Amino acid sequence: MIFSDYLSLFGAEALLTGLALLIIVLGLFMKNKNLMGCLSLAGLAVSMYLVMAADQTKGAVFYGTMQIDALSQFFKLVFVTVALIVVIAGLSRYKNHPGQDEFYGLLLLATVGMMVVASSMDLISLFIGFELASLATYALAAFDREKQNLEAAMKYFIFGSVSSALMLFGFSLLYGLTGTTLISGIADAGLADMGPVTLIALLFVIAGFGFKMALVPFHMWAPDTYTGAPTLVTAFLAAGSKKMGFVAAFKVVLIALIALRMEWYMAFAILAAITMTLGNLVAVWQNNVKRILAYSSVAYAGYIAIAFVVVGAAAGQIDGFSIAANGLAGGLLLILAHAFMKTGAFVAAAVVAYMALSDGKDNPDDIEHYAGLGHRAPITAFCMLICLFSLSGIPPTAGFVGKFVLFGSAIDAGLVWLAVLAILNSALSLYYYLRIIKYMYVNEPAGGKISEPKGYVLALVVALVGVLGIGFFPQVFVDLAYRAAEVLLL
Amino acid sequence: MVPLVLYVLLASTMFVVGLYGLMTQRNGIKLMMCVEILLNSANINLVAFSAHLPNVDGQVFALFSIALAAAEAGVGFAILILLYRLYGTIELDNINALRW
Repeated sequence: MIFSDYLSLFGAEALLTGLALLIIVLGLFMKNKNLMGCLSLAGLAVSMYLVMAADQTKGAVFYGTMQIDALSQFFKLVFVTVALIVVIAGLSRYKNHPGQDEFYGLLLLATVGMMVVASSMDLISLFIGFELASLATYALAAFDREKQNLEAAMKYFIFGSVSSALMLFGFSLLYGLTGTTLISGIADAGLADMGPVTLIALLFVIAGFGFKMALVPFHMWAPDTYTGAPTLVTAFLAAGSKKMGFVAAFKVVLIALIALRMEWYMAFAILAAITMTLGNLVAVWQNNVKRILAYSSVAYAGYIAIAFVVVGAAAGQIDGFSIAANGLAGGLLLILAHAFMKTGAFVAAAVVAYMALSDGKDNPDDIEHYAGLGHRAPITAFCMLICLFSLSGIPPTAGFVGKFVLFGSAIDAGLVWLAVLAILNSALSLYYYLRIIKYMYVNEPAGGKISEPKGYVLALVVALVGVLGIGFFPQVFVDLAYRAAEVLLL
Repeated sequence: MVPLVLYVLLASTMFVVGLYGLMTQRNGIKLMMCVEILLNSANINLVAFSAHLPNVDGQVFALFSIALAAAEAGVGFAILILLYRLYGTIELDNINALRW
């Protein structure tokens, strides 16, 4: 293949990398930096088109290390969309901010890292993409340089770097056992007959990815970081960075380590069960809305992890392939849905924090500030309402579609206990979502109507369109998710 | 030639040392050092396996991971410097307002 062939496959990554570097260099010379946001917005829109236009029939390129397929493009769309919503909101949040070039540059680089992970078919490129995204988000978490931000960034950094070290150690063992870093090569190496070292490698790999996915007991950093980081960065972390952990784990666990299915299947079942239960139980006691959303995000990691369990349980059953495809498609749909509704909810939280700060209140994320939001900021309140309904899985929203397919497949795979637990958890989660809704629409407003910043409103509308679009036209997205799921299973 | 098992033993020992340090130390810089020890234990593994197999992929991986570790240290120290400016300390026990 020649250079232009590669460019047509990886044009989106090339464009975003070039744009990020350009923005950082331009930022050194330009006085008025408000242009940067528009540049990144345009770049992300074009790369969204390039992602959709990329040829999915080429197979693995670059000596088998990168691949364009339905799965990689599905995840790239999720990442680009999340980055797009965050950039739109950033147009208001960081208008006239002296460091906005760095904000957009880092955001784009993090997006590129995630996209590289989504395409990787090799442990080396997977690790590099993972680190690129992590390093950029460590810096973003400290972006506003307030005490809270720095504490959040410090915790995120320590846990994140430990998790990449664990992951690297696991990868080194896998390489030593199989003699290759290619994911397909590891899958063909016959790991099942190699004795207990494979279990140690599996443990390290699951722990490394578990930190990024925020599965209990590797979740301790997530609530603190999500609460302390700037709200837009939190949206990016919860909706983008976490999904990168999932795509990496899908590739390594479901393709490379499929021979150890019996070993990881129970581990993921237990992790999923405790993650969703603990996330929801702790969220009930919180008064800080960002923290409620952070714990709900932990709970969601538990729901999505059910996809692993379904794949593990389905193998060996009579119609195992269709059950496994169902489970994975459900997990992917939930990932897509979670990306839209979490970004929407966090952007709405950013509007409320902005409002509370302009009222001169401290502790801007407290649930008290949501009192009467329906009167004070009607658009924000409505979008928050839909996102919260979607998070709790009420039809016709995106969250319902994802949960329906995923939990249904769990029942088909014979995991009735897990499905029942997940549904009970969804019911429990309704309590704390309704509590926010009660504050927004029932309680007396604490002040007059405010004018909602345009960037935030636009970002909220995009998220809302996504949530309702998936809810009203599920078939399009279910098909997409199925095609992506089949890549992992064939 | 040194047998492979000694290298893996060295790497595992370093890994445990790094993990022990992470659990017991609370100074930001010491934590950074522990993370570096963890990463380097994996690098030793990679290079030892690569020489033993023999297959050059592991050494390529180790080179990339050394470069990434350097970048990671850069970001980490930047965060630590900002922490020191705001709090006047990098003892992380004193920096724990976000809880529960």
